[in-house]
Amino acid sequence: MSLLELPLDVDAVIEQVHAQDDEGPLLRAMGLLEGQPVRVLRRAPLGGPLQVRVGDACFAVGRSLASLVQVQVVEAR
Amino acid sequence: MNSPLQVALLGRPNTGKSSLFNRLTNTHAHIGNFPGVTVDVLTGEARLPSGECCQIHDLPGIYRLDPGPGGSADERVTIDFLRERVATGAPLVLVHVLDATQLVLHLRLTREILDQLPGQRLLLVVTQRDALERAGGFLDGEALAAAVRLPVRVVSHQDPDLISVVLEAIPKTPPTKPTPWTPEDAARAALRPPEHAASPQERSERIDRVLLHPILGPLLFVLILGATFAAVFLIADPASSFFNVLLGRLVSILRPRLGEGLLAALLLEGVLGGVGTVLAFVPQIVVLMGLLEVLEASGYLARAAFLIDRFFRVVGLSGKAFVPLLTAHACAVPAISATRVLRDPKERLATILVLPLMSCSARLPTYTLLVSAFFGGTTVHKAAVSTGLYLVGILGGLVAASVMRRTMARGKGLPLLLEMPTYKAPSWRQIQVRCGREARDFTRRAGTVILAASVLLWVLLKLPVSDDPSGQTPVIERSAAAMVGKALEPISKPIGFDWRINVGLIGAFGARELMVSTLGVIFGVENAEEEPAPLADKLREAKTSQGTPAYSTATAAALLAFFVFACQCISTLSTVYRETRSWPLTGFVFLYTYALAYLAAFLAYHGVRLFTA
Repeated sequence: MSLLELPLDVDAVIEQVHAQDDEGPLLRAMGLLEGQPVRVLRRAPLGGPLQVRVGDACFAVGRSLASLVQVQVVEAR
Repeated sequence: MNSPLQVALLGRPNTGKSSLFNRLTNTHAHIGNFPGVTVDVLTGEARLPSGECCQIHDLPGIYRLDPGPGGSADERVTIDFLRERVATGAPLVLVHVLDATQLVLHLRLTREILDQLPGQRLLLVVTQRDALERAGGFLDGEALAAAVRLPVRVVSHQDPDLISVVLEAIPKTPPTKPTPWTPEDAARAALRPPEHAASPQERSERIDRVLLHPILGPLLFVLILGATFAAVFLIADPASSFFNVLLGRLVSILRPRLGEGLLAALLLEGVLGGVGTVLAFVPQIVVLMGLLEVLEASGYLARAAFLIDRFFRVVGLSGKAFVPLLTAHACAVPAISATRVLRDPKERLATILVLPLMSCSARLPTYTLLVSAFFGGTTVHKAAVSTGLYLVGILGGLVAASVMRRTMARGKGLPLLLEMPTYKAPSWRQIQVRCGREARDFTRRAGTVILAASVLLWVLLKLPVSDDPSGQTPVIERSAAAMVGKALEPISKPIGFDWRINVGLIGAFGARELMVSTLGVIFGVENAEEEPAPLADKLREAKTSQGTPAYSTATAAALLAFFVFACQCISTLSTVYRETRSWPLTGFVFLYTYALAYLAAFLAYHGVRLFTA
């Protein structure tokens, strides 16, 4: 599923960042890259951005960008 | 002579490069807790332990060394600087500043520096040691140095010996031979991570649960901004009134002692009337700067950008544009530079074009004077009017942005992508530095530009240029200044401005504070025979040559509306030119803001007259 579809407060791992123009490399450089643990903390109402934690950092990510990040839910042990 | 050693501080945004720069060079570069506060290369000097002098450069933060064509303007500044220096072969040392609480993330940039700029001398300075240790973590600098084969210093900005620790570690030689290491392995070898519940990240997330709450968050946002703007009036108004009383006393004491000479009149009417009146507004500018500093340093601005993003999309901006729009309330000049963090060039252009509509601190004296003089009621009522003026500017700016994003800066807009830093308690010292600097700058302007303009105006008001056969018209009405002001009356009559306001507006074009000092001088000359009174009282009691009241609430509303919109600022226009490199765009800013100002003043004047008639 994409980061956009990931339910709140569910641990996942970034599987793939679908590079589009400059945004794929920028996402990776900022820290949203393959293999990183990710969690959606909240979604701003009315289609606003997502607040996500990736590793030790926190980002505001617009929804259209979030839909380009493929994630895999980590099964709770 | 050899050129001095060049030391470049680089790293991800918001890692403390500017704090380190300030400590090393003993300067006061502006620091905020928001990615992208440094947008220019700042240069300072320091002396190495060897006695050798070096130049230190504080570069805007970057996430990568190869931004491609879509990179933002501030990324370009850093990368162009590095490429240029490396190409000339000048002696260069890179100091990569990292954050201990996000080590792996930051080491990825180290890896990129080693790969892309091989053979450069490189020192790693890891900051935030205190934050890491408070959360129960630990970073072993020697283990990290061994893992990455680079000199490493682990520091905290409070360290008393920070300067010598960093300068002594500046390497004399480049790293011997590139070694393959991964950020994850290096961090594993040297870092004991903090206990999760105590980490700065976790603490910030707890605060975010309140400040970014779907209902509470937006409410608090409005409350925080509203309270900031209201506080400027509420705290500063009594302070300014007190200063005005002091000024009146000073004039009463000095007048009998100085006598009737021309020099005495110049001192009392020109200097005290002009400069003194402006100085009364120092407290509120200091209050505004202090509050903005707290907002910036705390990390709240990134949250505000998150909250406002969806709303800003409606007018074609992103949440990131909020930061320059807010800082423009201090001054538009640094705010225009701050737009460099916007990735979308069209969005950046639209933001630059509307920034002059935000109510900067130079408008405050006029706002406070007119609101105190003409808007009766309680202090709370007046504070509400004053806050309303800020709101009118913001709304006007958003509407203008929306129009521009559909016409001259048309574009779809890029989605928001913004790092949200952890919250930090604002440092009291940093607030003091900012407030002190603003107070000094303002006082210096009062002592130079405003003093010179006030004296010049006083001369022009005393200089009769036409004869008066009837002997009835006072000299001031026949003065050179009055002639210029009166020549403009055909244009200004429809919005209620008389020659005095026109003269003020001409002065205000160079610096907005001159509006208040000009009125101070004019009424100082006109009422020279009367008891000294605060300027607000003199404005209320001013008469036309026919003896009717010169100004009403409608005049005040019109002048306020004019002030909200007009870009009466040469510095802003020259900065617009510097960032856009376009005279037509610069001219456009001047013309559209004045047109808006005239229209707003017309509507305010006639609207209020309808209500008060």
